[in-house]
This record gives sequence, structure tokens and C-alpha cells, in this order.
Amino acid sequence: MKEGFRQSMAWLHTWSGLLVGWILFMVFAAGTASYFRDEITLWMKPELHAAAPARVPQALAIGLAQQTLEERAGGSRRWFITMPTARNPALEASWIPAPPEGADPQARPKRREFGSATLDPATGRELGAARATRGGDFFFRLHFDLHYMSALWGRWIVGVCAMCMLVAILSGVVTHKRIFKDFFTFRPARGQRSWLDAHNASAVLALPYHLMITYTGLVTLMFMYLPSGVQAIYPDKPDAFYADLNGGPAGNAKPAPERAALAPLGPMLEQATRSWHGAPVGRITVTHPGRANATVNLVLQEGRDMTQDLPNLTFDGVTGKLLSGAGRERGGAVATRGVMYGLHVGRFADPLMRALFFLSGLAGCAMVATGLLMWAVKERPKQLKIRADGKVGFGLRLVDGLNLGGIAGLLLAMPVLFWANRLLPVGGAGRPDLEIACFFGAWAIAAVAGLAFPARPMWRLQLGLGGALFALLPVLNAATGGAGLATSLARGQWAIAGFDLVGLGLGAMLLYAALRLGPRAAVKPRLAGSAA
Amino acid sequence: MSGLRDILLALAALGAATAGFTALSLAMERHWEQLHGRGAPLPVRARRGLRHAGTVGLLVSLASCIALRGAAQGWVAWAGVLTLAGITLVLVLGYAPRGVARLGWGAAALALLALAAVLAPALLA
Repeated sequence: MKEGFRQSMAWLHTWSGLLVGWILFMVFAAGTASYFRDEITLWMKPELHAAAPARVPQALAIGLAQQTLEERAGGSRRWFITMPTARNPALEASWIPAPPEGADPQARPKRREFGSATLDPATGRELGAARATRGGDFFFRLHFDLHYMSALWGRWIVGVCAMCMLVAILSGVVTHKRIFKDFFTFRPARGQRSWLDAHNASAVLALPYHLMITYTGLVTLMFMYLPSGVQAIYPDKPDAFYADLNGGPAGNAKPAPERAALAPLGPMLEQATRSWHGAPVGRITVTHPGRANATVNLVLQEGRDMTQDLPNLTFDGVTGKLLSGAGRERGGAVATRGVMYGLHVGRFADPLMRALFFLSGLAGCAMVATGLLMWAVKERPKQLKIRADGKVGFGLRLVDGLNLGGIAGLLLAMPVLFWANRLLPVGGAGRPDLEIACFFGAWAIAAVAGLAFPARPMWRLQLGLGGALFALLPVLNAATGGAGLATSLARGQWAIAGFDLVGLGLGAMLLYAALRLGPRAAVKPRLAGSAA
Repeated sequence: MSGLRDILLALAALGAATAGFTALSLAMERHWEQLHGRGAPLPVRARRGLRHAGTVGLLVSLASCIALRGAAQGWVAWAGVLTLAGITLVLVLGYAPRGVARLGWGAAALALLALAAVLAPALLA
């Protein structure tokens, strides 16, 4: 090795971070937003702000869901019922319709073919016709499936980026030789020094989180990234593996030709709750309802244990007898994966933990953004020293442009999605896709503008615009039929009030950043002594 | 009542972590000078005391987190609490270094009050 270990790690840190940094920033931002997936969805359906559905016993709610599904989705391949929770008080029923005549029955159903209904758990009636929107699910899917491409490609791309992130974190720890000496150090308004301090602080103070979220993110998709083990033991039938892993029925079992009425779901739910010492049921999956081989799988409600590998029971759908799941012992490997998965998605978190996860996610966004910016901040004086004409090379110009489009552009596009959600006419066909097109359209315009004029005024413009759009979300909410801040706070609707307040806070931060970038506050780069 | 106990324990965890980090930072010459002026000497005894106080603060914070969320999730909560406390302290040290003593004492007082309120019913009963 020509250079020392630390120098080569510094090189690795720089390039593994820079090359994928713009995708990582999006993954971090959208993933952080996903902690409040249910709350974002609720905000994006102002028709549901008027009144929270009443709490009712689970047995009553599941009976109403079964009634609705039998009326509207008889003959489906599968039904899914999600019981009401504190975060989402509605009863969700969805179904996968039977494949059309002549279609390959083994073909995986497309998501847009799914039917769904949001019900009042007390009456079973559909809750006020809410506008069609992907809601918070959009950010959730975006952060590992990307968009406008097959989910498979998206997951491979995000996986490669996450692996680079892991490399960047570990090599960054080696590179940063003063972790403890600089633990609390942040020196503002000192040019390059400040960027390095901010990068170090956002990375070190949330280091356990960054390591955890990157590694467990890879674990959530590990059977796709490292399929050999499963292929060796379950050749040609991965569905059987998932059935064994999750304890549910195999997904590709064919429907029996004979019809048979589905047994009432209420008694199965009561038996499941009894076996879990009174803990509520979360999700129910009915496979081949109305057929002789129907099965019903009930999963414990999330929000208690850290593990994602939740206890579940499977019943025969016709006789209502328990088939499997009671007292099943899991091995150490399954339990480890379950906890890692659970840590990543954080569904066990109460409001305090959720807020802390969100804050750590924001620190992650700041770490990636400051890292990207620092490359440009370090490179510019080097180039200006060599070149007399004051121009910079193509690489630096490209990074400047991508930084603008990737960071400021995304922070502008995210609130545009919320504005589109409220301003597009309700009820048009393909409305959810139109909202998403607005998001990507705004982002594309910002990116093109950023690449064309990668300079400080463009940063001010985009950050200022994004900040204003974020900060005005409470006004937009109150003006377009949602529960405004005064109302939601008075009624104790914390999900809606919290969204407005977070929007206000993020907007204030972005506006402050735009203000600080003003011509008067320009910081002179310290060329002397910056060789460290 | 468990709602109130949870809030108090969360405040205790946050306050103790912030106070602990503040003490640990002041045990470092760079940050001691930020508070007391450039070149101000940091006595050996003060450094040792600050380090002990800081360690105690972080341990109290961990204990509060475990009391709040159990032995498994308590550690996860603690990591998040430390991040929030650290970011708060770094911002105060960066933008208002003279206020760091007030931050430390205020956070310690908050933690003590919250802990007293949690423990009092058990001690008095």
C-alpha cells in the first residue's frame, strides 16, 4: 500500500459517498417521511379529518369487514383486513380479484388491480368518500422501489446504494480520527471547517442509528440480494419458503373448484386474542374465500414487540378449526432477522420513539447533504488555485448541479406533492398518478434548472420556494377542507396537527437557510491553512 | 396514570442526557474555554468532577429509558435520546456558548424534578 490505511479509507469514503449520494439523500428523506406514513396518508385525505371513527370491539369490526367483503369482493383470490389502531382508526379492507378468464393463474397480480375500502369500524359503512391518493405509501415505496421502473430494478439500485452507504459509514469512522475530541464541536461561519463540523456532528451523534438503519435496510431485502441459501433448500418454490418463514399459507396454492361458505371470522379472532393473552389482532388474510380450501391467517397487532416476526395463527376457512401457529418455536436466526426488520420499519415505536427515529433520520439527511456539499466546497479552491480564468471544471460543475437538483430540488418537490394533493380536482381519473407526476415534474424542473445555473442564487430560489411551500402547508390544509391547526389542536387530533407543525418547522428551517445564503452573509472561503 | 409516568420518564431521560453531555463537554478544554474565555485554566478537580457528573447523567438517562420501554427497547430509546441531547448541546455550543451552563443546570433540574415526581409516590407510600 503506497499510502497509509487512513488515506485509502478517506479515498473510499469520499467516492463511495459521493457517487451514490444523491440517491441516498432521496432514500433517507423518503424513508424518514415513512415513519409518519399513516399520518401523511390521513393528512392527504382531508375528507376524513371531520371525525375520528369510534373505537369498537374487534369482533364487531371484523364481522362488518367480512360482510362488506362478501358483498363487494366475492370470488377474490385474497382478502386483507387491517384492524383499526391508535394511529389509523379506520378499518381497512382490500382484496385481490380473481384473475380474468384465460389469464395465467400463477401470474403475480399487479398492485393497481387491488380493490380497497376504508370502513367505519362501528357501522361498516365506507368512510366519507376520501379522494384517491397514494398518501404516505408513495414515500414508503419510493424509498426502496424507486418509481417509473420495475420494483425489482429499483430494489437492486437502492441495495447497491445502501451497500455503498455502509462502506461510507465504516470508512468514515476510520477516516475521522478525532471522533471523541471533536464530539461536540461545531464552529459556524468558518467556511469549509463548518461543513466538515456539521458533517461530523450529524454523522457521529446519530451513528448508532445510521449504522442500524443502513444494515437493517439491507436485511429487509436480504432474500433478494443473497438468494442462494433459499434456492439451495427450496429449489423452484420460493413461496413455500415464505410460507414456512411467516407461518402463513403458501401464496400460490390453487383455489379448490368446490365452493363452500366462509366460516364467521369473529370466533377465530376471539380465539387468537385469547391465545395472545388479550393482545389485539392486527391483520387478517383470507386466502381463496368462498372455496373449499379457504384459509384464514391472523397476525398479532404491531406496536408492542420490536420484532417484525409477529405471532400468527392459521385457521381452516370453512370449518373454523385451528390449523397451525400455536406455540410455534422460532430459531435464533429467524428471531434475529425479525428484530432487525422490526428495527428498520420502527412500527413498534410509540410517539416519543417515533419522533426520535424521525429526528435521527433528519440527521441522516443532513449527513448525506453536508457530505455531498463538502466535496464541492473542498474541490472549488483547489481548482481556483490552478485555473486563472476563474472557471471550474466539468466534474465540479456537474456535482454542483446535482447537489442543487438532488438536495434543494427534492426539498422543493416533496411539498409540491402535498400541494398537488389538495389543489388537483377531486375525482378525476388517475388522480394518484397525477399527484406523483407533479412531484416528479417539480423535481425534474428543479434539477434541470440546477444543472443549468449551479450557483448561489439558484440555491436561494429553490430552498426559499421549498421552505415557503412547506411553511404554508397549515394554511393550505385549513383552506382546502382539512382540519386547520386551531381545530385539530382543540380536538386533540395529534396526527393532523403534528403534520402541520412539522411542515411549519421544516419550512422555517429551509427559509432560514435561504436567508443565510443571502449576498450579505456570504462567507469568504479560507484558502490559507485549509490543506488539512 | 401511566401516560403521565411515561412523559415524566421521557423528560428525565432527555434532561439527564443533556446535562450529562454538557458536563462531559465542559470537561474538555476547548469547550471549557468557550464558556470561561480563551486561556481560562481547567482545574484538574473540576475536570474530574465534570466527568463523573457526566457519566452519572448518561447512566440516569439510560435507567430512565429502560424504566420507560423495558430492557430491550430501552437501549433503542436511549440511542435516540442521546442523539437529541447531543444535537441540542452542539447547537448551543456553536451559536450561544455562554448559554451552555444554563442549558446544563436547566436540564439537570428538569431531570431531577421529573425523577422526583416519578419516585415520590413509591417512596411516600
